[in-house]
Amino acid sequence: MSSALKEKIIEELELVIDPELGIDVVNLGLIYEVNINEENDVHIVMTMTSMGCPMAGQIVGGVKSAIVDNITEISKVDVDIVWSPPWTKDRMSRYAQLALGIHR
Amino acid sequence: MVPSASGNETNIKLPFSFIFVSMIALMASQILLLFQGDFLIVGQFRVPGIWSAAHLFILGWALMIAMGAMYQLVPVAFLTPIWNEKFGFIQFGVTAIGTFAFAHFLFHDPQNALIPGIITLIGILMFLFQMFMTLRKQAKPNILTLYVGTALVCLLLTIGLGITMLYSMKSGAAADQYFAIFKSHLLLGTAGWFTMLIFGFSYKMVPMFSLSHGYSMKPSKFVYPFYAGGLLVAIISFFIDSNIALTVGLLLQLIGFSIFIYHISIILKKRVKKKLDRSFTFALIAILSGGLIHLAAFITAVFGVFHKAVGPLLMMYLFFWIAFSIIGYLYKIVPFLWWTAKYSKEIGKKDVPALKDMVNDRASTPVFACLVIGIIGVALSLFIGSEALFISGQLIFTIACFLLCIAIAKVVTK
Repeated sequence: MSSALKEKIIEELELVIDPELGIDVVNLGLIYEVNINEENDVHIVMTMTSMGCPMAGQIVGGVKSAIVDNITEISKVDVDIVWSPPWTKDRMSRYAQLALGIHR
Repeated sequence: MVPSASGNETNIKLPFSFIFVSMIALMASQILLLFQGDFLIVGQFRVPGIWSAAHLFILGWALMIAMGAMYQLVPVAFLTPIWNEKFGFIQFGVTAIGTFAFAHFLFHDPQNALIPGIITLIGILMFLFQMFMTLRKQAKPNILTLYVGTALVCLLLTIGLGITMLYSMKSGAAADQYFAIFKSHLLLGTAGWFTMLIFGFSYKMVPMFSLSHGYSMKPSKFVYPFYAGGLLVAIISFFIDSNIALTVGLLLQLIGFSIFIYHISIILKKRVKKKLDRSFTFALIAILSGGLIHLAAFITAVFGVFHKAVGPLLMMYLFFWIAFSIIGYLYKIVPFLWWTAKYSKEIGKKDVPALKDMVNDRASTPVFACLVIGIIGVALSLFIGSEALFISGQLIFTIACFLLCIAIAKVVTK
């Protein structure tokens, strides 16, 4: 159940883009952890591409909306932004790397 | 871990108000200049039309846009909310009314420009107060605080020297120091206020727009003492009337600016985003231009011809460094503001556009090309004294400004 729900959450998070880059937070590798407890409360641990990102508030709001509005089993989402470990380009998916002109 | 949302964001209407009014001032100033060719080509700068256009350009456009950008960038760069937003809207109203009234009176009735001048001054002082109160609240001041704080101090000194000049003209007091005060006023208003501000925010925006990580911030600690020291030595040189001191001051500024260019190149080498946006590239070209103008200023000082070259150098500094930096960053700031206003509540609920979909970045190339052609045409016309060339150059520049305004206005239709 939890694993299926987790997959559903990841899928919905692909709707949330970093507006500056036009790529979603999952492919950018910004999502570090998705934790779900027994009451189906969700705790997301994520980062931003840069500290003091002006879009941080909007992206976090989008992460919450994407989950709460689209998955009926979930009513509560907490998001924590962390800077350690720092985000690097290696965290991006191949799709994101290609979109940004980085070739492995 | 940090709390989820920063909660520092400014009400988007505040920076937007400044930016839109500033675009009106830009168009008004350039159209006004278009009809001043006969004065400009004979070197008559102190006429009402040119006073009015210059103040509209510097105060109405460049300063207003810098204020609007700071209302947006200070909270996100320093993680500190604006001290008082309501005060910010009042400050906007006072500054806008003061600036346009001041430009109007300078043109039609210069003898009575004092009161609108004082209103403008109050608006700027309110802005400075707002920013000092905001920066005071910053939990952990950093090197950027030093740059932006120094820029604000320079703006305050620029205003103080401007008032001193007015007082000196009316009362005759400190008449023998008038030109030293005037030169300091120009230096602090351009290389002090604008350059320090652009340095500070470039350290935030260059890594953000190029997605750079893992670079050192150490060089920024060397840029500051050289550049600020250069400003100080140059100001002293004006008052003691020493060419040697002026040359040393310009050399120190050149070293500071060169380290800044080197530092930006280090940051860009660490970038993830390989293909940079065109408008952002123009902001980077502006940095190089600024460095070259500093080099030219130093060389002319070494050969003792700085006093002859300072006019064209100042003009190039205003356009190729200050204006181009502002315009380059504007192509990023305005889409961000409008995106925030329109789509921030939609994100995660449905597909939303990316910032690059909000503005036609490709269209920025002809705008910048026309701006450059226009400036060169105007500069050349002043040099050879051709009114026809002046009108052509100024017309191209005005059209480019209009295209810029259209590009910015079109963002709000997205």
